[in-house]
Amino acid sequence: MRDPRNAATGLLVLLPFALGAALAPWLLGWIAVAPNRLLSARIAPLGATGPVAIAWTAYHAALIALPLAAWRPARAWMAEAVGVLAALALLAVVGLGASAAVPPGGLARAAPAAGAWVALLLLFLAISTGAALRGATPALPLLAVLGGAVLLGVSGLLDPLSIMREALGRGEELRQALAEHVILSFSALLLALALSIPLSALSISRHGLEAGFLSVASGLQVIPAIALFGLLIVPLAALGAAFPALREMGLGGVGPAPAVIGITAYLLLPLARGLLAGFRVAPPALVEAALGQGLSPRQILWQLRVPLGAGVVLGALRLAAVQAVGLATLAALVGGGGLGAIVLQGVGQLAADLILLGVLPVLALSLAVDAGIALLSRRLAPEE
Amino acid sequence: MIRFEGISHRYGSVQALREVSFGVPQGSLCVLLGESGSGKSTLLRTVNRLVEPSAGRVLLGGRDVAGTDPQALRRGIGYVIQSVGLFPHRSVGENIATVPRLLGWDARRIALRVEELLEMVGLDPGTYRDRLPGTLSGGQAQRVGLARALAANPPVLLMDEPFSALDPGTRRGLQAALRRIHAGSGKTILMVTHDVEEALALADRIAVMDDGRLAVEGPPLEVLGRHAPATVRRMVRAEVLAFHRLAALRAADSALPGPAPGAPVLPEGATLRDALLLMLGHGADRVALMGEAPRHVTLAALLAASGSGG
Ligand SMILES: Nc1ncnc2c1ncn2[C@@H]1O[C@H](COP(=O)(O)OP(=O)(O)OP(=O)(O)O)[C@@H](O)[C@H]1O
Ligand SMILES: [Mg+2]
Repeated sequence: MRDPRNAATGLLVLLPFALGAALAPWLLGWIAVAPNRLLSARIAPLGATGPVAIAWTAYHAALIALPLAAWRPARAWMAEAVGVLAALALLAVVGLGASAAVPPGGLARAAPAAGAWVALLLLFLAISTGAALRGATPALPLLAVLGGAVLLGVSGLLDPLSIMREALGRGEELRQALAEHVILSFSALLLALALSIPLSALSISRHGLEAGFLSVASGLQVIPAIALFGLLIVPLAALGAAFPALREMGLGGVGPAPAVIGITAYLLLPLARGLLAGFRVAPPALVEAALGQGLSPRQILWQLRVPLGAGVVLGALRLAAVQAVGLATLAALVGGGGLGAIVLQGVGQLAADLILLGVLPVLALSLAVDAGIALLSRRLAPEE
Repeated sequence: MIRFEGISHRYGSVQALREVSFGVPQGSLCVLLGESGSGKSTLLRTVNRLVEPSAGRVLLGGRDVAGTDPQALRRGIGYVIQSVGLFPHRSVGENIATVPRLLGWDARRIALRVEELLEMVGLDPGTYRDRLPGTLSGGQAQRVGLARALAANPPVLLMDEPFSALDPGTRRGLQAALRRIHAGSGKTILMVTHDVEEALALADRIAVMDDGRLAVEGPPLEVLGRHAPATVRRMVRAEVLAFHRLAALRAADSALPGPAPGAPVLPEGATLRDALLLMLGHGADRVALMGEAPRHVTLAALLAASGSGG
């Protein structure tokens, strides 16, 4: 069962990450405390309470287990699971340490120090590397970290951290932004699918259309996103002014419309490429046999090309969906809302916590989309 | 049943067919021979409109196929190709049911038909119906391909090198199955092959293509006989042709009366090729023929009949 070469690879690759994650908090600090919102934070010692000691021990035990778990190639996922536990233990150390260092109700604010951030980053990299070693997507374990963090937050363990205070103060705003973000990316994805599915299907047998479609789609990729969103404002504003009905529907100048259209434009290329490649998985001789039996082109599309190309198409859909979530962050720049608006606010106020508050849900959303579609495609196209 | 009238076809700059005209009578099995690239597949595919000829027309049962709905036309014509083209994600039974399902048959009738067809092509329904094509051998897959083409009982069957990818034993098995089906059903079959032996074993008409033209068309022994046209002689060495021709001649027709003591015995209904093989195997110059009256076939009579002696 044991393949010594693989075992050594896993161990050797993950060892530096574990060492780094163990050393970073010692060198750069676990938590930083500022006396109030305006003064800058300084590294503070962890309080020596019982819960802190328990979490601290769990963290270091997980770090020792991390490379060892990679020793058994047959259970490679165990390394990722241990990585997830280590990351959650680290969060617990920081949260518990902060509550010991900052008296509740005061003006003082605590945040993870640079050492904790570096360690968290190294653990994310270790998890991703572990997933890559067994040829899987890291989305699921990373999502587990975020889910665990949310659970820790709900339990109140992270309440003393300034980012949690920020989140609690802006709960409604955050929910609103998250909803807008989902709507922005989802509607752009739907619009792009509605355009690219029929165009790709028609392109299968029409080389002229295929060339035209692909060159437009790749031409659009060359325009920077913000420029494209900005460029769209002008004609949309003119349309809105000319047709008040459109304006009523929210299709005038600034707002979600240019963002959705712009994101759609970017999704066309990955979708078109994936759809065309997927539709061509069915070999020509098979299509010829199907034609000869009297199947119509439409029946060949749905009964042959779609089921055989499902794996490839879902791969493209996954890429496009993740891109949509990422691009929707830029919608705020043209007044389209979404989580980008919170990031922009944070940048304007030089408030790192606020930026994080906008960025982390984007990350979670994109990981969730990635993991969801990966699961779906493993169901539908197991050979892929 | 099938009539080609002045069919020409161009693919861009390639002239694949040049004014091909001939007919395939109802119930006959016509084999298309010719060198690679001579236009056999293209001609075959004009019948089910996978190729629309640039000029000329194809009549099927007296009707111009150009005036029919292509999907309806194809559902009424069996089509078998070398690569078989079974749908890999559907079971053997579902593959065979393709056309009946398109025609809207009810489930019971389809199930019965699938069972009947699997038996007809020599596969046990219980074993094979639910298998996926990826788990079949080449010969089994081609049997399923033949069953699928026959599913809706089409009066016409088009076959493009159906058995060429198979080993000789498997090929003979499938040829026998096809001969049985043809004899039992009276279907009109147009079939492309490179194999002269196969053509002689199956065909009652042979058409030879040469660079897009019809070189010659007629009964097998005429087309591949002693006076075979130059195209045919270029394709096959004369002695090979003579050997295969023996397969189309019944040994009984060249037999002389009287016993042949000590000679090996040929079964009834054997061909002259069987007789020659038996002589080679025993180092004999004559074989006795099984039957009521004592008869025998001599090497000299065999050579005379083949037209290659003297
Ligand atoms: N789709 C196509 N596009 C362009 N040229 C083609 C196409 N199909 C066939 N041809 C050309 O037409 C000519 C006849 O082709 P066809 O396939 O009918 O030959 P064939 O007699 O069946 O040959 P083979 O025995 O090798 O199958 C060839 O020169 C071939 O290159
Ligand atoms: Mg061919």
